[in-house]
Amino acid sequence: MTTVLEVRGLVKEFPGVKALDGVDLDVLEGEVHCLLGPNGAGKSTLIKCVSGAVEPTSGEILFLGEPLPQGDPAGSLKRGVATIYQELDLVPDLSVAESIFLAHEPRRGPLLDLDRMYRESEAVLARLGHDAIPVRAKVGKLRPAAQQIVSIARALSGEMRLLIMDEPSAILDEAEISTLFEVVRRLTAEGVGVIYITHRLDEIRRIGDRVTVLADGQTAATGLPASTSTDTLVELMVGRKVEQLYPDRPAGTDEVLLEVRGARRLPAVRGVSLEVRAGEIVGIGGLVGSGRTELLRLVYGLDPLDEGEIVLDGKRLRAGDPRAAIRRGLGLAPEDRKSQALVLDWSQAKNVTIADLRRFSRVLLDVRKERRTARQELRALNTVPDDPDRAVRLLSGGNQQKVVLARWLLHECRVLLLDEPTRGVDIATKAEIYRIITGLAGSGLGVLVVSSELEELAHICSRVLVMREGEIVAEVDGKEATELSLLRHAVAPTDAPDLVEEVV
Amino acid sequence: MSSSPNPPRLAFAGALGQRAKGLELQEYALGIVVVLLFVVGSILKPETFPTWDNIRNMLTQSSVVGVLAIGMTFVIATAGIDLSVGSIVAAAGVFGGIMVGDDGTSSLIFIASAILFATFLGTCNATAIAYGRVVPFIATLAMFSIARGLALLLNDKLPVSLLDLNGGSFGDPRPGSLLWFGIGRIFGIPVSVYVFLTIAILGWIVLNRTRYGRYVIAVGGNREAARIAGVPVRRIIFSVYVLSGFLAGISTVLLCARLGSASPVSGNLYELDAIGAVVIGGTSLAGGRATIVGTFLGVLTFALIFSLMTQLNLSTEIQQVTKGLIVLGAVLLQRPEARY
Repeated sequence: MTTVLEVRGLVKEFPGVKALDGVDLDVLEGEVHCLLGPNGAGKSTLIKCVSGAVEPTSGEILFLGEPLPQGDPAGSLKRGVATIYQELDLVPDLSVAESIFLAHEPRRGPLLDLDRMYRESEAVLARLGHDAIPVRAKVGKLRPAAQQIVSIARALSGEMRLLIMDEPSAILDEAEISTLFEVVRRLTAEGVGVIYITHRLDEIRRIGDRVTVLADGQTAATGLPASTSTDTLVELMVGRKVEQLYPDRPAGTDEVLLEVRGARRLPAVRGVSLEVRAGEIVGIGGLVGSGRTELLRLVYGLDPLDEGEIVLDGKRLRAGDPRAAIRRGLGLAPEDRKSQALVLDWSQAKNVTIADLRRFSRVLLDVRKERRTARQELRALNTVPDDPDRAVRLLSGGNQQKVVLARWLLHECRVLLLDEPTRGVDIATKAEIYRIITGLAGSGLGVLVVSSELEELAHICSRVLVMREGEIVAEVDGKEATELSLLRHAVAPTDAPDLVEEVV
Repeated sequence: MSSSPNPPRLAFAGALGQRAKGLELQEYALGIVVVLLFVVGSILKPETFPTWDNIRNMLTQSSVVGVLAIGMTFVIATAGIDLSVGSIVAAAGVFGGIMVGDDGTSSLIFIASAILFATFLGTCNATAIAYGRVVPFIATLAMFSIARGLALLLNDKLPVSLLDLNGGSFGDPRPGSLLWFGIGRIFGIPVSVYVFLTIAILGWIVLNRTRYGRYVIAVGGNREAARIAGVPVRRIIFSVYVLSGFLAGISTVLLCARLGSASPVSGNLYELDAIGAVVIGGTSLAGGRATIVGTFLGVLTFALIFSLMTQLNLSTEIQQVTKGLIVLGAVLLQRPEARY
C-alpha cells in the first residue's frame, strides 16, 4: 500500500515554546489515521505544518514520496492536501456554493460560471449525503453542523489525496457523525488517506484504522491498531493513569429551584416544561436543531419568550432579561466559549469577575481584592497555568471552560446552565470538569446540562430529558440512561417508530 | 524557507505572553517618542522651541482636541466611533453665544448652555446607535453634517463675540470670566491645561478603576460575552456617546474661551485629530483595548510635531500630509499579526 504522507522528526519552535519536538507519522492510502493527544500536545501545529499554514523549524514532510513545500498552503492544497480546521473558517456572508469554491471559482472567461458552481456544489453536497443544504443560502444562516459540512464539501471540491480533519465531530450530533463517517469511508475506499483528530475515543473504534498519540509535542506512540484499549490510549496521552472518568452521579433533593412552564419560542422551542431541583444534574439531550441551546437561551433570558414562564425559587423571572436572571442566581456557560463567554484579550482574573464586579466596587474597583478572589476561584478549579494575569486567549479549551465556571462559582449562583461543557476539551480535563459539575450539584446547586455527547449525559446526570423538534419527548432516569437509549429517543419517529411509541 | 518562520511581531507577542503588557510597552515607546520629539525640536530651534512660552502654547492648543480625544477613547473602546465631535464643538459654541445674547454678561450661561447643547447632540447620537441600532459610523456621520448645519443656521453663518463675558479681556482676564478659561493662568499654567489634565486623570480612573470602565472595555472586547455575563451592553454603548458629547461641550468652552468668540466654522476636522491621537496612542479601533495614557501621549505627539513644523516654516498643507502619514504608520504598527 502506498504511503501518502510521511512525517519525520518534525520540530516546530515558537518563541519560548517547542510546540513540536520530533514528531513521526505516516499515513497510508485509504486509511483513517487517528491523531490523539491532550490539548496543547501539538496536534493542531502538526496538521498546520502539513497543510502549509505553519512552517516547521526542522524535520521533513514527504507527500507521496516527495518533499512537500513548507509554509505554502496553496502548494499543499494543489498537491491534494485538504484540511478542515477546528475553528470554522467560513465567511458568513458568502453563499454555500461560493464558500465551497472560494479561491478556485469556476470561470467562463473573466466571469464567474455561477451555473456550474451551483451545479457542482450540489453534486459535492450530494456526495456527502447532504443535498438538502441550499447552495444559494448564506453560510451564516446555517447551523454550525451544516457549516461544518460545507467546510468538508469545500475540501472535497478539489483533487484530494489526503484529508486532514481537526475534530470534525465536535459540533455534530450523532446522526450527522454517522453521515460524516459514511462520507469518510467512501473517500478512503477511493484511496484518500485521512488524518482524523478527535478527543472521543469511541470514534477511533468506529472509524479509525490506526492511531498516533501525541503528548507534549512528541510522538508517544504511532501506528497503534484502532483496537488499542482505552486505558492504554489515555495513559499514553496524559502520561499517567486517569482515575475514573465519570464521578458518581448526584441524587438531588426535593427542593425545586428552577421551573420552566410551557416555554415557547417558535420555531425552535415549542412548549417545554421542566424542573431542576437542588443538588440535581439534569441533562438535555437531542440532536442538533432539536432546540436544546435555544431552550437554555430562553431560560437565561437571552431571547424573549412567546409564551410560558420561567420560575426561580418560586418567583417568576422577568423574561428576556439576562441581568435579572443573573441577579436571581442563574449562570450560563454558553456553547461557544470564545465568542460567547470570554473576552479573549483579558486576563483570567477579569474574565472571572465580570459578572460580579459590584462586589469589588464602591466608587472605585478594588483591583487587588478582585485579583485575589479570582485567583482563589481559579485555584479551586485547578486552572492551568496558575496565573490570574494570563490572557485567556492563551489557555486551552478546558482551562477556558474552567474560567467560565469560576465566574459562576464566584457569583454563588443557584442554578447553572451549561451548554456543551466539554466541547473541545481533552479527556483528562473532561474528567475534571465532570467532577466540578458533580461537586457543584453536591453543594446544593441545580445544574442543567445540554450536550451532544449522549454518553456523557448518560453518565453524569441524575435525569436526562430528550428533546426533539422543540419538545421534550422523553425523560430517562440517569441510572437507566445509556447512550443508545437516549439516541433512540432523540431520532425522529420515522427512523424508529417502534421505539418511540412506548415513550410518547 | 530561508526567511524566519515567525514575523518579528509574533515573536514579540509570544515573548511577552500577553497583550496587556504589550500595551504598556507601547505607552513607553510613545513616551520615548514624545521625549525624542522634544529633543529634536530643541536641537533644531534652540531659541524658540524649548521655551516656557512654546510649551505653554502647545499645551493650550492641544487641550481642546485633548478633551475630545479622552471622550473618543471611551467611544473607540466599545468598537464605536464618533465623527461628529468637531461639528458639535461649532454648534455648541454658537448655541451658547446665542443664549448669552447681545448684552449678556454671564460666562456661566455660555458655559452651561454650550455643554448642555453638546451633551444633547451626543445623546441624539447615543439614542440612534444604542436604541435605533444605527451603525456608529453612519449615525455620527449624519450628526457631523447636522451639527455643522445647525452651527451655520443658528446665527446666520456669523460668529458670536464672547469677549465681554464677565469682563474678560485678552490682556489679563479676570478669574471666572470666559477668557480666563482659555488664557488665564494659575501658577503660570493656563487654566485650559488644568482642565485637560483633570479630565485625562478622571478618564484614566474611570476607565481603569471603575466598574463602568471595565464594562466599556468588555463591550468592545466581546459584546455577546459581555451580555451573557450580565453587562448592560446597550446602556454602556448609549453612555459613551453621551460622554463624548459632554466632553465636546467642555472642549467648546476651552476653544471659545481662547478665541473670545464662537465661530460656526470652528472645530473643523477636530474629530480626525482626536481619532488620530487615540489611535497612535494604541487604543484598538476594533474595541476591547484602550489606553488613556496612550491617548494623552498621542495628543502630545501631535502638538509637538505641529509646533515644530510651524517653527520650521512648513506649510499647513505639509502638516496635514504628515498627520495622515503618522496615523497610518501607527495603525500599521499595531495591526494584529497578519496570518496568511
